[in-house]
Amino acid sequence: MNSNDPIEFSIFLSRMRNVVDEMSVTLSRAAMTPIIALAHDFSCCIYDVQARQVAVHDALPIQTSSMDLLIEETATAFGADIAPGDVMLCNDPYRGNTHVGDLVVLAPVFVDGRQLFWSCARAHQLDIGAPLPTTTTPWAANVWQEGLAVPPLKIYAAGRRRDDVLDLYLRNLRWRDLLEGDLMAQLGAVWTGSRRLEQLAADLGAERMLEHVERAIAYGRRRTASEIAAMPDGRYEAEGWMDADGAGRVNVTVKAAVEIDGDVVRVDFAGTDGQSASGFNGSRAVVEAAGRIPLLMAIDPDIPHNQGCLDAVTVAAERGSLAQASYPASTGGATTWPGDVLQDVVWRALVQAVPERVRAGTARWNNAPELYGAGGEEAEPWGLVLLNGGGGGGAAAGTDGWPLITSPAAEGGLKVASVEETELLHPLVFVEWEVEPDSMGAGEWSGGPGIRLTFRPTDDAIDLFNPSDGLDNPPHGVLGGSAGAQGGSYVTEPDGTRTFYASVYMTKLLPSQQWTSLSSGGGGYGDPLRRDAAQVAADVRDGLVTRARAEALHGVVLTAGGALDAAATSARRAALAAARPDGWDAVVPACAATETWADRTAAPEDRVVRDGATVETLLA
Amino acid sequence: MALRIGVDIGGTFTDLTVVDDGGRTLLVWKEDTTHGRYAEAIRTGLGAIAAELGRSLRELLEDVGVFVHGSTIATNMLIERNGPQVGLVATEGFRDVLYFRDAFKADRYNIHLRRPAPVVDRHLRVGVRERVLRDGTVETALDEGSVRAAGATLLAAGVEAVAVSLLWAHVNPAHERRVRTLLAEQLPAVPILLSSDVLPEHGEWVRTSATALSAYVYPATATYLRELERWLAEQGLRSDLLVMQINGGCANVEQCLKVPVALTHSGPAAAPVAARHTARRVAQALAREVITIDMGGTSFDVTLMQRGRVPLARGLEIDHQPIGVPGVDLHSIGSGGGSLAWVDSGGALRVGPDSAGSTPGPAAYGNGGVHPTVTDANLVLGYLPEALLGGRKALSRTLSEEALARDVAEPLGLSVTQAAFGVLRVVEEDMAGAMRAVSVERGIDPRAFLLVAGGGAGPLHAARLARHLEMRQVLLPAEAGGLSSFGMTVTDVRHDYSFALHTKTGAFLREQVEAGYAELVERARADLLASGLDPDATRFERSVDARYEGQVHTLMTAVPDTDLEERALATLRSSFDAAHAARFSYDMRDRPVEFLQWRMSAITPRRTDVRETFDDLPTADAEPARRGFRSAIFDLGDGAVETPVFDAAALAAGTIVAGPAILDSETSTIIVPPGDSLRADGNRNFLLTVG
Repeated sequence: MNSNDPIEFSIFLSRMRNVVDEMSVTLSRAAMTPIIALAHDFSCCIYDVQARQVAVHDALPIQTSSMDLLIEETATAFGADIAPGDVMLCNDPYRGNTHVGDLVVLAPVFVDGRQLFWSCARAHQLDIGAPLPTTTTPWAANVWQEGLAVPPLKIYAAGRRRDDVLDLYLRNLRWRDLLEGDLMAQLGAVWTGSRRLEQLAADLGAERMLEHVERAIAYGRRRTASEIAAMPDGRYEAEGWMDADGAGRVNVTVKAAVEIDGDVVRVDFAGTDGQSASGFNGSRAVVEAAGRIPLLMAIDPDIPHNQGCLDAVTVAAERGSLAQASYPASTGGATTWPGDVLQDVVWRALVQAVPERVRAGTARWNNAPELYGAGGEEAEPWGLVLLNGGGGGGAAAGTDGWPLITSPAAEGGLKVASVEETELLHPLVFVEWEVEPDSMGAGEWSGGPGIRLTFRPTDDAIDLFNPSDGLDNPPHGVLGGSAGAQGGSYVTEPDGTRTFYASVYMTKLLPSQQWTSLSSGGGGYGDPLRRDAAQVAADVRDGLVTRARAEALHGVVLTAGGALDAAATSARRAALAAARPDGWDAVVPACAATETWADRTAAPEDRVVRDGATVETLLA
Repeated sequence: MALRIGVDIGGTFTDLTVVDDGGRTLLVWKEDTTHGRYAEAIRTGLGAIAAELGRSLRELLEDVGVFVHGSTIATNMLIERNGPQVGLVATEGFRDVLYFRDAFKADRYNIHLRRPAPVVDRHLRVGVRERVLRDGTVETALDEGSVRAAGATLLAAGVEAVAVSLLWAHVNPAHERRVRTLLAEQLPAVPILLSSDVLPEHGEWVRTSATALSAYVYPATATYLRELERWLAEQGLRSDLLVMQINGGCANVEQCLKVPVALTHSGPAAAPVAARHTARRVAQALAREVITIDMGGTSFDVTLMQRGRVPLARGLEIDHQPIGVPGVDLHSIGSGGGSLAWVDSGGALRVGPDSAGSTPGPAAYGNGGVHPTVTDANLVLGYLPEALLGGRKALSRTLSEEALARDVAEPLGLSVTQAAFGVLRVVEEDMAGAMRAVSVERGIDPRAFLLVAGGGAGPLHAARLARHLEMRQVLLPAEAGGLSSFGMTVTDVRHDYSFALHTKTGAFLREQVEAGYAELVERARADLLASGLDPDATRFERSVDARYEGQVHTLMTAVPDTDLEERALATLRSSFDAAHAARFSYDMRDRPVEFLQWRMSAITPRRTDVRETFDDLPTADAEPARRGFRSAIFDLGDGAVETPVFDAAALAAGTIVAGPAILDSETSTIIVPPGDSLRADGNRNFLLTVG
């Protein structure tokens, strides 16, 4: 057997997959906070010394598609001063990180005195010491208002724990006990990765292992290239709109040009509006990941997302734009709001190139608020990201959209706690948690539904931060499918009057009030008149789709008893098909929103707040 | 009352095992499973067994003291989704919890992945107006009008069973019980299952799922088990029909029907029990620390047992639906004899997860399967005989070679032999990975463990897998080919109970916990007496789901068997700290530990009194058992070697066989690689020593 042994190579791939899987299990099971343990807001991967991703556990796409930037920064920062037993931290978005809320723990892996790899775990922290208790604050005007920045920093030096450095870091955080537990879990994951790599190197020999790394990257490159080569060459352009940037702008324009050229793809976000005076800005790591992710989803999901695969897509953006802000702009919200809309626009462009390989628009982060309070039995401060109300996923050929996809940044990777677990640990009571009828984009394949969620505080006031997007400019429908429904949220007073809010706001919720949200549905895929009529009848029976909509959009007519009227349906479908104009937009909506859900829903006695609260009002 | 019978209905075969009262196997019988008419294969098989033992069916059954049955009926119904329409009654505003699940999408990059569908359609999920809060207080009284409206909806739809799952019903079940009373008036013939009975635990998704799955399988399961019970009694069986559960124990039909979802996956759950039993019987000194593997046509199951205990896991699912109840901790991967070998678009060899199953099966079967499987690789390398099952299933080496050549060897530029070798190396890497996952990855060093190998394909790979993990000893039990049905004959009777009570160190609600346990003991004693079992011959094991305050996941931790005064609580706490450190590399001794779910198992053990041992065996000659040679390949460099083949059943006690060697038996083939050696105990149990 020689190093070209294809069997040993297959085994190498399998072992590397096991390494990152084991790191991920270790991290999720050992972590303290729900954001990691339950919502899986973390990613584990292995890099080589050339900062190439060798293996990754596919957790959250936005975290795993551009970590090479941070590895390079860290390697450069320490130069020759990298030793066995070192462990570093970094969360600085201007040093290759996604946003300040994601903390990367990484350790060099040495074999026979030579560094071969980096073992890394990136995880979203419950807190990062910002003025407001949120890690993704849209209300930060610059980096000094978004939280503690950690440039590449050693917490272990040659195996010795630097307690003073750790203390400095933890001293700046709320809930330091919990966050210390999470940090331990990240360390555990990184050390697990290191140990397994050392064993593998002992089994295979370091040189042989490095040869397999080259082969693995070539293998990822080859498989990705053959998929891209099958896509039609061309330049495909699209634009989309972010509801608001939290600093006064609404319907912020994001543009992308996707150029497929042989077996490579270039994504350029040129033409995107300028950077925001809030935390709604892309970082370099986020824009690079956001440009790549839709392509990674449009190819065979079996292809490992190593550097060979990732490098098939290059990403450009103008500095100083919303896509990639210039220092010292805040990028606190980068992974979700800017990241979501950046991905979305790439998907819109891809519809023209590979319609059979796209999904329709997925709900961008909305109505999944951060809650903070001091209440419950011991009046200890508590914090929670409430994910139960997130929006629906886009449909794809052959598949209806999923509910609770919540955000392209996660694409279904965030687990939601049960009502009872949340009520057990936090002072709030759920009133309602159900699917909203007619909220899903219609199509041959229907989008995932929006969700109606209502809760109220039990004892004390709760600070509620609800930066959202995709409520006014909802997830797009493709190839004849309609867009998902718009959404919003409101607070109900004891007398029943309601205050409707804009997409980005924060407020203080009193125990006498309750909060209701309606998340956006996912977009539909394909011609709604081609949806299986029996399925439409079942959707009506199940209360997901109203009769009126079944008739108007799907041309499905039911008898009084709810059974499918086949003859009337055929006639209705023929009439609808004849009446519609030739050709339609491949993607809808084709322009920014002119009306909001609140405009249509609020009663005369209700209030509508167009402008979210500012930092000043909350701190006041 | 001398005999025990175990019957395991699997996808392909219905296995029947007869053992004597001490747990020694008398007979293993296989019938083809009669899908949809499962009892038929049991009747035929029992008739055949009686004939083999020279008795009438009545004579056989009258002599049976323990009859344990494991069936795939519930499992199959959930996988095939061919069960009845069932209704779900939920708290108003929360009828979509089965649909929402935990929101998790396992493969983020697969945009075409379809969502697992709930077992209850939305129009049959109806809300009733009521609300109980986390401490059990009633915020909104039950609106009985809304219950009647729900009943009318379910009646009109003709549901065959109803699940009732209301928020916080596990803390205060009053509303659920009242709903049952009211619905029973409207739907008198329809079984109604309550979440507070099926799974009284925190977390409405899993509790509702367990209850809905239970309702879904209840009608057919109840009918089937009661008919079988009646028929067996008519034919002479005097003892209760016992049914295998996913927790590795059995219970009588009425007990099992209280939590029907616990009947799923009961066959595989019996395998580790069987392995433990045999290990204790024949190799007691080695039996405390055991890893069992069970490899069949489509899957490879691993269980690690420490101190002789069969471990339980939570979070088990069937067809992506959580079942809630704890079950035997089987780590299962899709590697089996039928796993397909293929070369992906980047030129890497892969094995599985797709399987050729039993139809069309491996290429060697000649049943239309044209793609190579693990079995084909084993055949090409000379490990398998020309026919399986004592000659009933012929294998074609030519077909295997053709398939391997086309799908693997040619694309990779390898010889067929190299390809076959490669297939085994890749699949064994996956299997070794699964074994590492339950040992090394949980901080447990497996090297001193005994490996017990079962399943039709397990003994083929066992020695090499042991080498992967540097394990030294492998036990290949006589019952390897039918580990599950054998396991049923030796399994304990087991009843599981639990109650939910949230408390923590520092503010420990001792009186409430003790009162909770007192109530469980009372219920257990009543159930034992009703099942004709002796509570005093029953062991009560207690555990609790614990975590550090603020943490999400829990660890099941043993609860001391005493009053929970300060010292006992300290013991409980420190064993949690230790388990946490072992599993997750750190502990937090200053942080409060919180407790959620208190559990108790009532275990009435089965007698095991046959002591056989590999010590003090006479020496014997292997030669009389030799049936010829097969040309087999163990090392690509050495090429094929003429390898002696032995009839496993004919190897006398004390025989030592040095590798390379092959042992054929009716239901499995054992490979002894070069350098390894194996000893026979004369009862078809073999102990293999690696290296």
